[in-house]
Amino acid sequence: MELTLNVNGREWRGDVPGRLILADLLRDRLHLTGTHLGCEQGVCGACTVLVDGEAVRSCLMLALQADGCSIRTVESLAPDGQLSRIQAAFLRHRALQCGFCTPGFLMSITELLDSGQRYNREELAEMLSGNVCRCTGYEPILDAVLECQD
Amino acid sequence: MATWGLHAYRARDLTQHDWRTEAGGTVKPAPFEYHRPGSLAEALEVIGRYGDELKPLAGGQSLIPMLAMRLARPSHLMDLQRVAELRRVVREGNVLRVGAMVRHRDMERTAEVPSVVATAIPHIGHFQIRNRGTVGGSLAHMDPAAEWPALSLLLGCSVVAVSTRGSRRIPADDFAIGPLMTALEPDELMTELLVPLPEGGGGFAEVERRSGDFALVGAGCQDGTVVVFGAGPRPQRLAMTEQFIKAGGAPGPELENIAALEIVARGDIHASAEYRRRTGATLVNRVVRQSRTHVEGT
Ligand SMILES: Cc1cc2nc3c(=O)[nH]c(=O)nc-3n(C[C@H](O)[C@H](O)[C@H](O)COP(=O)(O)OP(=O)(O)OC[C@H]3O[C@@H](n4cnc5c(N)ncnc54)[C@H](O)[C@@H]3O)c2cc1C
Ligand code: FES
Ligand code: FES
Repeated sequence: MELTLNVNGREWRGDVPGRLILADLLRDRLHLTGTHLGCEQGVCGACTVLVDGEAVRSCLMLALQADGCSIRTVESLAPDGQLSRIQAAFLRHRALQCGFCTPGFLMSITELLDSGQRYNREELAEMLSGNVCRCTGYEPILDAVLECQD
Repeated sequence: MATWGLHAYRARDLTQHDWRTEAGGTVKPAPFEYHRPGSLAEALEVIGRYGDELKPLAGGQSLIPMLAMRLARPSHLMDLQRVAELRRVVREGNVLRVGAMVRHRDMERTAEVPSVVATAIPHIGHFQIRNRGTVGGSLAHMDPAAEWPALSLLLGCSVVAVSTRGSRRIPADDFAIGPLMTALEPDELMTELLVPLPEGGGGFAEVERRSGDFALVGAGCQDGTVVVFGAGPRPQRLAMTEQFIKAGGAPGPELENIAALEIVARGDIHASAEYRRRTGATLVNRVVRQSRTHVEGT
């Protein structure tokens, strides 16, 4: 079936099967492998992307459900190789170790930062509970976000 | 949720052959014909034609994992996203009519929602799940530990079910039959949830292992109605406890014991039946107290 998307500012058109999952489209066809797949059942958050500005699990969406939508993946954060503010804060605070969870965290955080709403540490921990990190213990991630809310 | 992990890996191993083959990428679900109706009339026509060979797709937060693990293999999938009629929230007198495709996130931002609903919604998964998951999908999926089936029983809601044969209202108590089982017929679509707006404040509490997990057990109280969920196969009204309150009984050990006696609980890998019964009773006591504070406070 015909699918039209805007991915990271560029239009993409193609013919896709109904059963193609959005994450697999992004990774396999568009080669945007920054979007990671961990659990593939909605639990870990590694596959988080923005669909029309809202953070969603790309493993829990058919590609066709995103027809006509604007998608942002982690690749959109540093288009010219220049780290964005939140990416630089992650680096400074050592908010990543293996980095597997990082793209998902960054996209969830992007929705929160773009909303303009400010969260305290406790609220942020709650808001980011949908992203699992096995390395950092979360504290440095919260430090990085708190810094970027200023 | 945690039990899904195993299925996922098994499903992948078993289907390794064909999930790599489709031109240009990975596919996990079994093949189906995809339908995207643009109106309610069209949607009813499609579901009427295929009946139990078809699954409606709402937010996909429960259905997509089931498709990907091939626990569900419908031959037809009907995406309801473009059926605008299902996305509305309308207040009519003392009833809030909530369209089946209204997302948890939309309800979080709707001013008219009763306070128990506002308290309960943040417990539904994480904000990324609430960005997609819908009221109708939650009710039709009927996870015994889900918030919407419990809230609809607590507030005395009805589900509007429509087919080409006509339309009917199903009271929440008749709608939820058991885990993943509802009173919907294969050719029926849920179009709305009718939520009677309560007078006073209510109480809501649940215990979850981690924030965003499904509740191990939860409870709600509103205007003398008491409901527990996550304990048994479907949300349960506690008739004896309600009677005790009606007769002037106050929160305390006695109320908690009555609740513990009547809660139907099952045990599984996450918690024992006894844990669910005792913790459920403690939560019942807490939500009854909360609802009284609200009443006295207003
Ligand atoms: C990590 C994670 C955590 C979660 N935690 C919770 C939680 O704590 N509490 C909770 O309640 N839920 C939780 N959920 C589930 C979430 O709330 C889902 O949104 C919900 O269960 C299903 O809604 P949906 O819109 O995604 O429906 P879908 O997944 O699209 O559909 C679910 C079922 O309903 C049927 N259906 C959908 N719409 C209709 C309709 N209009 N008429 C007839 N049938 C219909 C579908 O055919 C399918 O069988 C969680 C999900 C995930 C992935
Ligand atoms: S891969 Fe999507 S949530 Fe884990
Ligand atoms: S940095 Fe390794 S999982 Fe988060």
